Order: sequence, then structure tokens, then C-alpha cells
Amino acid sequence: MFSLALMNGIVIGVIYALSALGVSLVVGIMNVINFAHGELYILAGYFSFIFADALGWNIYVSMAAAVGLVFLFGILIEYSLIRPTYGNDMYSLILTFILSIVLQNAYLLIFGPYPNKPPNWIKGATNVFGQFYYGNQRLAALVAGVIVIAAVFLMLKKTWFGKIIRAASQDREMAELNGVNTKALNMLSFGLGCALAGAAGVILAPVFPVSPTSGVPIALTAFVVVVLGGMGSMWGCVVGGLALGLVENFGAAFISTGYKHIFGFIILILVLAIRPVGLFGRSET
Amino acid sequence: MKRLTFGICVLFLGLGLVVGATPGVAADTIKVGVVGPRTGTAAATGKAFEEGIKLATGYVNSKGGVLGKNLEIVFEDTAGAPDKAASGFERLATRDKVAMVLGESHSSSALAEIEVANRLKVPFIVAEAWADPITAKNYKYVFRAGPSNSGVVNHTIAKWVAHEKFKKAYIVAENTDWGLGIGKLCEAALAKIGVVYETLETERKSQDHYTELAKIKAFDPDVILAFIYGTGLHYFVAQAGEMKVSPKAVILDGAGPPSLWPDFWKNVGDYGNLECFVSSMHEKVELTELATYFREAYVKEFGVQPTDYKSRSIFDAILIAADAINRAGSTDPDKLVQALENTNLLVTRGTAKFDTTKGGPSYHHWMPPMLVIQWQDKKQVVLYPPEGATGKLKR
Repeated sequence: MFSLALMNGIVIGVIYALSALGVSLVVGIMNVINFAHGELYILAGYFSFIFADALGWNIYVSMAAAVGLVFLFGILIEYSLIRPTYGNDMYSLILTFILSIVLQNAYLLIFGPYPNKPPNWIKGATNVFGQFYYGNQRLAALVAGVIVIAAVFLMLKKTWFGKIIRAASQDREMAELNGVNTKALNMLSFGLGCALAGAAGVILAPVFPVSPTSGVPIALTAFVVVVLGGMGSMWGCVVGGLALGLVENFGAAFISTGYKHIFGFIILILVLAIRPVGLFGRSET
Repeated sequence: MKRLTFGICVLFLGLGLVVGATPGVAADTIKVGVVGPRTGTAAATGKAFEEGIKLATGYVNSKGGVLGKNLEIVFEDTAGAPDKAASGFERLATRDKVAMVLGESHSSSALAEIEVANRLKVPFIVAEAWADPITAKNYKYVFRAGPSNSGVVNHTIAKWVAHEKFKKAYIVAENTDWGLGIGKLCEAALAKIGVVYETLETERKSQDHYTELAKIKAFDPDVILAFIYGTGLHYFVAQAGEMKVSPKAVILDGAGPPSLWPDFWKNVGDYGNLECFVSSMHEKVELTELATYFREAYVKEFGVQPTDYKSRSIFDAILIAADAINRAGSTDPDKLVQALENTNLLVTRGTAKFDTTKGGPSYHHWMPPMLVIQWQDKKQVVLYPPEGATGKLKR
């Protein structure tokens, strides 16, 4: 039981971290909380399902196309909905909340109430050290999740765009004074945040099929991870995601399966009581 | 400015007269409300209800309607949330002035709705919410023309477990009124027939069941009684297959419809083979002529065979309601209650008759017969009851 809880905690934790990265990026740069994050995750899952299942495309091409489309959709959202609200964070919060409800209902109208699942990349299960069987698709999701997270970190560390993002998240006005086009930066950052939600969606859709409302728990978990790790901190997302995944799985294994998600909230309350800015968050003062 | 104000007042007065005149138009129909989840995690039930409503209103109106008028159904989406369910029910009663309300699929929602039904004195026929307290509260205006937890456990599940000679069972119950209620009843029934069991709770919206399945595997049961509704059941079946818990342990989907949803096979893959489920409908077993009518009308209307049996549950509930209104000769709530208590109507699942014995969940309850069916190479095979069996359990 211990080894399964550990392994599953890591896998689920990486998935949580991946879904939270997009939220964290957008919060860090734009100070916008995207309430429709879960619905963008679902949108990528639906696109992947349409391309791979209905149109018969190669699954990897379908996944890439789905993430690309969600990126473009994100840019459209930023341009049409978020941009007019700059200077009033509450409006963007309300707008993205409304968007999430609109998208949920649109999915229901278009795709119906039943869940949809793109094909597995890999079938079957692997016997882990003779202890338990573990689904190969989950292992593949773990590998893909680690690759995407590593790619995001490399992009932030090594590329020109990454350096601008880091500069803007530290001091937006100074970045602007140094010639950074913050309008374009916001647009690209929001698109990237949505694309990360989409990446999580296409990686996970074969494991957890998407349905109109299945983005809600994903978004909620992503927000918990972001707050736990510290608003806007990328490392906080990874550590927070892993911590949440492990706490939930060990709690379910050794205390109660019926209240698995409660353990995550208890940890969140404890961390915030001791360190109100989260594990890796920076204090404003 | 005064002119504008006067103009607006006249406009609103005019609108008021038009709205005030509406009941004359509405008087051409008798309204009956339906409550159910059209959005949320169990939105599939709302879809099934809408299909049943379409067929039932067509059927009733083609036979002369109710009290010489057309039957009109007003749907309220409950989204599976008790607060929305209660306010939706209240809207139907106060805004739409419905003669009675039918439907519901979530026990938690139904438990909120029966309080409104009782307070506002609106007859309510629960179609598919199974928790015992819904009828065990013995409310005058509350009826149930569908399965109850105790009915399904005592008449079907426990008897099937004994019939298959299972020795060890694992109960997995989602933490809802339905799941926890049916889990407890199963514990008592299994203890009575000498079956060793263990139980665990799972979260209603849980997607990942690996830790639960590790515990189940350690117990090594012959059968898993899975009381999980919706997509969660698909996750559970697929993950049980991945972890090699099934098919060694047979899974029984204690709710039924999720194993019949069109995407079941896509979501669970080969792991769905040999899964069992409880259902009131089978593709080859039809209890009455009306069941055959329903199937043919369904195929004609929607171009496919019916799958989710909840479309048939609401069909039956509407027929029972229409029959009661016609026999009562009015929409007076007390006369409707009296008519419902005297119901003796052949519907798709047999003859509907409400028990009037007070003191338990059988009060105002008609329990339709249920079957245990197993998927064998994507074909439905009836396992229980023996008189309706079309094959034997495969492991």
C-alpha cells in the first residue's frame, strides 16, 4: 500500500503541478485569476478527441493541434475579454467565471452530457516491482507531464521570452520602461497559460475522459496548488502539486478514502496559517 | 421627462395586461413539472428524462390528454444540487402552477424536494431517486414509482449474491445519500446471508480510484458492489481492470445506467467485459406490451435503441400522473393523492400500485422489478432473477 500510495502520489502530483503551472504563470505576470482554466483544459481534451477519434488523425498530431488551438483561443480571450478589464482585477475574475459557465454549457450543447475519451497512446498495465499493477497510460502521462514541466522551466530560464516573463513578473513597470511591450506580453502569457491547461488536458484525457463539468475539480485543485506553492511561483507549483498528490494518496491509503480531497485542504490551511504567502511565495512588504 | 415616465408606465401596464391574459392561453393545457439534472455530473439523466417526456406526452395527448386538455411538461434543471432542486420545485409549484411534479434522480435532491412538496401540498412522484428516507418519512404528498435502496438490495442484489454463491464481497459507496444508504443496507443484507464483506467510502466526484482498488485487491473479494454513479463508475471499471482487480472479482454497477451509456465501451475498453449491472430494462426482456410500444416509439423518434432506462422510468411516471389526474377529475392535490393511492395501471415495467402501509419506506412506493445483467462480449446477458435469465455468470 505504501509503495502504491507513493507512486500514485507522484503521478497525480505531477499532473496537479502541470495543471497549476498555467494558472501560476498568468497570476505571476498579469495578476489575473483565470476561472475558466478548467474549461480550457477540457477544451483541449475535446479537440484531441475530435481530431484523433472522429477525424482519425495520429494521436500525437491531434494533441499538438489541440494545444495550439487552445493557445489561440487563449489569445482571443485575452484580447476580447481580459484586456478591457486591466486595472480592475475583480472584473477579470468575474468575466472568466462567466466564461467558465458559458463554456460548460456550450460543451453540454455540442458534445452532450456523456464523457469523451481520445484513444490511449499506450495500452495495458505494468507490474511495478512485483508489488502492484499500474496503468501504462498513467506512466506515459507522468513522463509527458515531466517533459512539459521541464520545457516550461527551460523556456523561462534560457530563452529571451522567458527572461522577459521573469522580469515582468518581478517588476512590471521597470520592464515596461526598458521597452517591453506589456500588451503583447500579456497576450502571449495568457495564451501560454491556456496552452498549459490544454497540455494537461490532452495528456490526461485518455486517463480521465472529459465531460462538460469535469474541468471544475481540476481548476479547483490547480488553485489550491498555486496558493499552497505561493502565488506566481513556478517552483511552488511543482512542490505544491507533488505535496498535494502525496498527501491525498497517503491520506486515502491510511486514513479514509471517502474524504481524500479534504486532506489537501487541511494541508493548505496549515501552510497558510504558518506561512500566509504559501511555500515559495514572496511577501509584498 | 414626465411624458417619458408616463409612456413607460403605459407600456408596463400594457405588458401586465398581456401577461395577465396568459392563464387563458395556459388553460388549454394541464401542466405537470419534471425535476432532474440537465447540467452537472449526471446531466445524462436529464437527457434520458427529456427523451421519455417527449414520448410520454405524445402518447398521453394522442389518447385524449388529461381532463380533455393537452398535457404540458415543464422541466426544471436541478443540476444534482439540493438547493437548486428545492428552489426549482418551488418555482414549478408557485410560478408554473403545475398539478404535480415528477422525476428526480439524485437522492440528495429528492430529499430536499419532498420537504417543499409536503409544505406546498404538491403531489410528487419520485422516478429514480433510491434513498429509503424519501418514502420512509411517510409524507402524504410523496410517492415513488421507481426503485428504492432497500427494494434493490433485498429483492435483487443480496439474492443474486447468494444465488451466485459469492463468499467475499467488497462494498464501495460514494459519499451521497444514495451511496451511503445502499451501502449500509448491503452490509446488513450480506451479514444476514453469511457473506464476509468490507466497505469503503469514495468521493462522489473522484476520478482516481487506485488507492481504493489497492485495498480491495488486498481483501481479494469475489464480487465488488460498486455504488458509484456517473462517469466515476467508468473510471472505477477501467482502473480496476488496469490493476487486475477485475475480472477476478466481478464488478456489479449498483446504479445501472452508467454501464449502458453510449460511451461506456470507449471509456472502459476491454475492461468492461464481464462487468455486471442492475437494470430495469434489457434489450430482449420486455414485461408488458407498453414496453414494446416504448422501444418501437423510441427507435422511431431517435433512430437508436434505448439504453439509459431512466427514459422509461419518467415515461411510466408521466403515464401514472396522467391516469391519476383523469381519475381524480381535477387537479386538487388531495383528490390527486387519493387517486394515486388507488393507482392500478399497466406501464412498461409491470402494473404500478402504490403500497399504503405506513411506518417504513414501502409507504406510497411501487417497486418495479430489477434485473442483474452481465456484459459478455458486449452482449447483455440476464443473470438474475433465474426465471428471466438468458445465460450464466462468466468469470
